[in-house]
Amino acid sequence: MMVVLHTIFSGLLCLQCISSVICTPQKDYFDEELLLKPLPSGHVYAYFQFTTLWDVDFEATSFQHCHLFPRALGEIVGRYNVQELHISLTEGLWRHETWGYPVHDAAPGAELWAWFKESTKNIDKTWKELAGALSGLLCVSFNFVDASNSLNPEFTFRPAGIVSSGAVNSSYLRYSTLPREIVCTENLTPWKKLLPCDAKKGLSTLLNAGHIHNTNYHSLGLHLRPVCRDTTCSQMSVELRQTVSLVYDMVILGTGNQDWSIKKLFGIGLSGACPLATMSNIYIDIALNETGAHFQLTPTPPAVITSTRGGHKSKFAVYDIKALDIDGMFNIAAVYSSSRVYGVNIPPVLFANRYIIGYGQERGGIVTKLHNGHWQALDVVYLENIPWFIPLYLHTLKIVANGKEIKPLLKRFIPGKARARPYYLEVALRLPARSITEISLEFDYVFLKWQEYPPDANHGFYIGAAVITSLLPVGRNYTGLPQDGSTITSSFNASRDGYLVQLRTETLIITMPTPDFSMPYNVICLTCTVIALAFGPLHNITTKRLRLKNKEQNYVIRWFKSKLTRSSEMKEKQS
Amino acid sequence: MKSQPMDNLVYLEYAVAGIIRYWLINSDYKQTIGDRVEISTSLNSWRKVTEGAYLYSEGINPYVGDNFHETPLGLIVFNKLISHIPQWIGIIFIVCDLVTAHVLYRTAQTFMSELFSRQMRKKEKYAKGTETLLLKQSDLVLPPVYVASAYLFNPYIIFSCVGQTTTVFANLCLAFTFLLMIKGQRIACCSVLALATLQSLYPATLLVPASIYLARAESSSSLEDKQSLRASSCILTVVTFISALLLLLYISSELTGGWEFLHATYGFILNVPDLRPNVGLFWYFFTEMFENFRLLFICVFQINATLLYLVPLTFRLHDEPMLLAASLTALMAVFKSYPSLGDVGFYLALLPMWKHLFNFMQQGFVVGCSFLITSAMGPIVWHLWIYSRSANANFYFGVTLAFATAQIFLVTDILLAYINREFSLYHGLHHKGSGKTTKLVLE
Repeated sequence: MMVVLHTIFSGLLCLQCISSVICTPQKDYFDEELLLKPLPSGHVYAYFQFTTLWDVDFEATSFQHCHLFPRALGEIVGRYNVQELHISLTEGLWRHETWGYPVHDAAPGAELWAWFKESTKNIDKTWKELAGALSGLLCVSFNFVDASNSLNPEFTFRPAGIVSSGAVNSSYLRYSTLPREIVCTENLTPWKKLLPCDAKKGLSTLLNAGHIHNTNYHSLGLHLRPVCRDTTCSQMSVELRQTVSLVYDMVILGTGNQDWSIKKLFGIGLSGACPLATMSNIYIDIALNETGAHFQLTPTPPAVITSTRGGHKSKFAVYDIKALDIDGMFNIAAVYSSSRVYGVNIPPVLFANRYIIGYGQERGGIVTKLHNGHWQALDVVYLENIPWFIPLYLHTLKIVANGKEIKPLLKRFIPGKARARPYYLEVALRLPARSITEISLEFDYVFLKWQEYPPDANHGFYIGAAVITSLLPVGRNYTGLPQDGSTITSSFNASRDGYLVQLRTETLIITMPTPDFSMPYNVICLTCTVIALAFGPLHNITTKRLRLKNKEQNYVIRWFKSKLTRSSEMKEKQS
Repeated sequence: MKSQPMDNLVYLEYAVAGIIRYWLINSDYKQTIGDRVEISTSLNSWRKVTEGAYLYSEGINPYVGDNFHETPLGLIVFNKLISHIPQWIGIIFIVCDLVTAHVLYRTAQTFMSELFSRQMRKKEKYAKGTETLLLKQSDLVLPPVYVASAYLFNPYIIFSCVGQTTTVFANLCLAFTFLLMIKGQRIACCSVLALATLQSLYPATLLVPASIYLARAESSSSLEDKQSLRASSCILTVVTFISALLLLLYISSELTGGWEFLHATYGFILNVPDLRPNVGLFWYFFTEMFENFRLLFICVFQINATLLYLVPLTFRLHDEPMLLAASLTALMAVFKSYPSLGDVGFYLALLPMWKHLFNFMQQGFVVGCSFLITSAMGPIVWHLWIYSRSANANFYFGVTLAFATAQIFLVTDILLAYINREFSLYHGLHHKGSGKTTKLVLE
């Protein structure tokens, strides 16, 4: 009886809870945007951004009742005391030299970093649990993230959102990459489910797996941070950015010309905006229209915005989907006047590449080349994230700029430990003006236990991308959003003192020497035999005594011997 | 008096050996030699020492990482050397190697005269017709020269010195242990042994022959109750050794401000986390080991390398502690977790002290050929495996197995030869050439 009463009572309480929540209006906004940018190399860069802004305190309890914000993610964030969360799942490599800077840079494979709140007790444990939960949410192998492949870099990563206390303590940060991760539809589907309109309406209908995974580069992103609600910053909001970056190669997709359209890129036209969205815009960068190959947009853009940023001028055609009266399917097409003309590529101010040197599987080196094309010296922070099975020698660290060795401004190094901790190296450098700086390090190839090799052992082992961070003085090739902005719109005419870029270099692959996987038993037997070879005689020598013994020969041998001696005697007699 | 020309010869040898080492250490071969897995293991490679010293000078504790396994004492000394007199480091290695050779030479001289006086004492008890087995006065002069030459001109030792492995210093400590042991100087001997133990742990087993020697030296000089004197002397030796070791460990922990170094040095030696190939038996065995049996086999292998043969060999060879010490050193070099050719060369250099046993050895040819063939095959199959990728790990494993087998044959052969000779001394040589078909058997 008591039990029944209790249930009813708690049920009533629950109802009360729900009604109180329904009464308080949810103040949240959802914006969807798409930026299309033809690149000088003939590629087309498509960047989707779905932004959810929610005026709520960043507390675990806030995430119990979600409206536009994905509750599945909210619960994880609330439970593991996350302050800020960044995930990117990428296939392919962003080529900074020819493509400029993306809005969000991402390392090939999966990348995850999070700031925890200062009240978090055991950060390593929470980090592992958070990664496990996210692995379930997005079908990524984040369950392999643990202390053995996580870092807390001191300089490279700063909180992107607001912080409660003044000083930034990097011990609340964890960063990890899984360079071997292959990103596919199974990641895209759960990612789309986090959107308010799912993939049923709005710009997200354009995200069709077949056309996304057909690109040179695709990257899914998920960025959560606390932001200021207003300019006074007395209250906090939660901002969730879900991003997709795609780079299409029109040579592969096209039918002999450079023309592209929404339908051609995504396989489907647009049927309208997401009804829950406050803003639903498509921006097309038409700056290249004037300098490079000329193209005509149909339908003609309703508005054109000129944006000057960091001394660099660009023009965007803007289509407001909400304002358009869409009947059936909507398509935007770019028709080129000439069949294939590529623009002159002006590489960005700072870019990098990285490779492995050495031959054989005994010793090797990693070389990273940083190109500074600016007329001034640039300060950069270089973060190296080397797995434990690549033992680095710090004394071999050499930084050579234009043939001259330079001293780093700052250096942080924590040597790795087998199966426990990666090698962490962070170097702050001043790159001389118009220089190529080479950072080289040597390492040894490690011999692992046979069960530690992945199934295809000779495929090789991946080394995660290095991260190069810098505050550029000019805005050329820069598309990133300003720190105080949430949407792509906020990046127009957003001139600031510096433009933060974080480049990810190539991931590297090395093939390590392998044992013979087929013979553990043989090895165990043979080695034990050799040990027994020592044990047997030593046991005999130490425990037994020498004795003289009459030779008792085998009867057969004796018979043969006597025969032999007799026959030889006979021969002697005969001779 | 007689040894004067011999001394001159030895000094000439030092000069020649020094010049060879100096030439090699200043040539391009130095890097090639130092990079060989047979010469440099994770425990003794100069590259790791450089890294450790660099980290230390950068203010990073080298023991938190995986790349440095020297003792804190070594760390401080090497750091000083690298930062202050980098151009003299090669010379220091050469000098240490020559000093080792000289110490071994002195050890052999003392040992030979001791052997001779023992023979004089026991001569009456020997059987008739064994005169050919006895040491002559001339036999006392040559073996020490052979010992020095075997150390100075053994390519294993030369390479190990040229590759700047810290085995050079380990060998120096071991050589001093041998000398001080035979001279009966307890405190010095225990301190040097503690230093050797601090660096590579395994020499701790040499405490047994050392205490036998020291006890014998004491009891022979006094006329009191020998049994109790020996016991108390042994206890005193053990206590001296342990306190010296503890003192060194304490100094080490004070120098690095913590005990992490224990895990990076002894833990590294005992747990065998690094499976980089070397001339030993551990690497491939633990590469291919099933994870749940790993601990069991680690224990088995480590006991095999240290304690297993210690007690039986002590009982058998307590009359000949030098041979006990040499065979323990040899077994250590075969069965330790990260052996290098420098360790092998060290015990090979000791063998000429038992030149009188060589006649009784039966496997010399087999062992010699195996040493030659494996030394040549090792680098070849390594190149095939690691560089041309046309062979696999099994090839190199086979070579290391053959090398270990050859060493084991050598050790057992010399022990058997010793037993044989002792037997022949007391029972005569009648089993040789007599008409009856008799043979010597162990039973």
